[in-house]
Amino acid sequence: MEGENVSTQPEVPGEPTQTSTALLETATATLQGFGPVNKIHQHLCAFHFYAHDMTRQVEAHHFCGHQNEDFRQCLIYDKPDDDGKLIGLEYIISEELFLTLPDNEKPFWHTHEFEVKGGYLFMPGVPGPIQSQDLEKVCKTYGKTIHFWQIDRGDSLPLGIPQVMMALTRDGQLYPNLAQDVESRFGISFAKERENRAYMTGPAHGLHPLGNAAGRGLQTVLREVDCKPVESVPSVFV
Amino acid sequence: MLSSSEEKPGQMPPGDGSIPPGKPMSFGQKMIDKGAQMVESLKPIKQMSQHVCTFALYSQDMSRQIETHHHVNRLNQDFLQCAVYDSDDSTARLIGVEYIVSDKIFQTLPPEEQKLWHSHAYEITAGLWMNPRAPEAIQKPELRDLAQTYGKFWCTWQVDRGDRLPLGPPALMMSPQGVNGGMVMPELVRKRDEKYKVSTDNLRMSRADVTVPETVLLSNADYWMQSEKGFAVDVEETDMKRIAPFP
Repeated sequence: MEGENVSTQPEVPGEPTQTSTALLETATATLQGFGPVNKIHQHLCAFHFYAHDMTRQVEAHHFCGHQNEDFRQCLIYDKPDDDGKLIGLEYIISEELFLTLPDNEKPFWHTHEFEVKGGYLFMPGVPGPIQSQDLEKVCKTYGKTIHFWQIDRGDSLPLGIPQVMMALTRDGQLYPNLAQDVESRFGISFAKERENRAYMTGPAHGLHPLGNAAGRGLQTVLREVDCKPVESVPSVFV
Repeated sequence: MLSSSEEKPGQMPPGDGSIPPGKPMSFGQKMIDKGAQMVESLKPIKQMSQHVCTFALYSQDMSRQIETHHHVNRLNQDFLQCAVYDSDDSTARLIGVEYIVSDKIFQTLPPEEQKLWHSHAYEITAGLWMNPRAPEAIQKPELRDLAQTYGKFWCTWQVDRGDRLPLGPPALMMSPQGVNGGMVMPELVRKRDEKYKVSTDNLRMSRADVTVPETVLLSNADYWMQSEKGFAVDVEETDMKRIAPFP
């Protein structure tokens, strides 16, 4: 079974943006600050699959910023273009931080060692030596990825509930056609990258047994809850 | 069940209390980032055109309310996507994602899907939703448009309950409404108003002419208002469908 090519995804329904709207938003943008967004300085391309279903795989473009040396937060798009759909997000933490997580939180987090050393996680357009300096750190980190928009099943809108995602951990998982498609579009060779990254090492304590959901699948489920009784909250308005 | 959006997964070491914990950026990392930034185009990020400050309530517990900062990117006249943060400074934490659709698009959604969405009419006409540092006069046409939209907002980091790292599954968020259970606590509004030197009351008065059609007011969104039910998200362990061993 082949993976879906992201370039065949349906368009988001809706009318084209009106000129007046676009002008208004440009005017606003020049006046406002974009603090946290300005901190996004990095573009990483990688592959994710659903934590309950490895057969459904997507190309994921991460736009990341550091909160500190040990923590990055990333917005994930289906493609690195102006009209990219925001399909999810990922948090990336050092091994040190991962080890402080409660044991029933650790399963949400996946290791990056294989996809970095395998060449599958890369920074489009960035020269090898600069990439390597950063990727050798990423190699030791853990990530928690949630997707909200299941474009691989053809959704033209973000339907349903959030999905926990996992990352590649060994050969044989990634669909060859997805790999080749990314290689040709970004002009890279995973095999070549693999050679360049042979020297890199993963987490100092090895891959934690609870990481990657300990090899289990993870499925999100929606549950109705009763609204807690609320005393009348004093209104701001009379 | 492994975990639920309703329950904090467990204790973490208190450390120095910073959220998130971690060492300051090293000089080396800063240089690496600068080098990469010089060659990357970061196109989707540059499309964010608006910063909105508003409030949201947890669907699973509407007594928990937060101030939110949305960085909005419009894909077309009927659809916007937002990166949501807990503040607007450079240390702001990415706490979730919100999607916004026009009434036209909302009406095409199946009823079960509509229950996950919230309306924006009240929070806009009440003056709760505002664009920091952008004159209200410029915003007016946009606000008329947005007052007829619906949002779907997943929160992935429950900073307000003290989580120093993003723990557990995402939580569904709801919008403020003008009825019991949906009102924003005055203290939250006051704090926001003071920070941005605005008056939510004045904004409300200036938006008295923003009208919303009946169809929008009677939609299937804001499920809690008719049913007194919210939603929590649980995560369960299951067998993974696989094509190769994992991990």
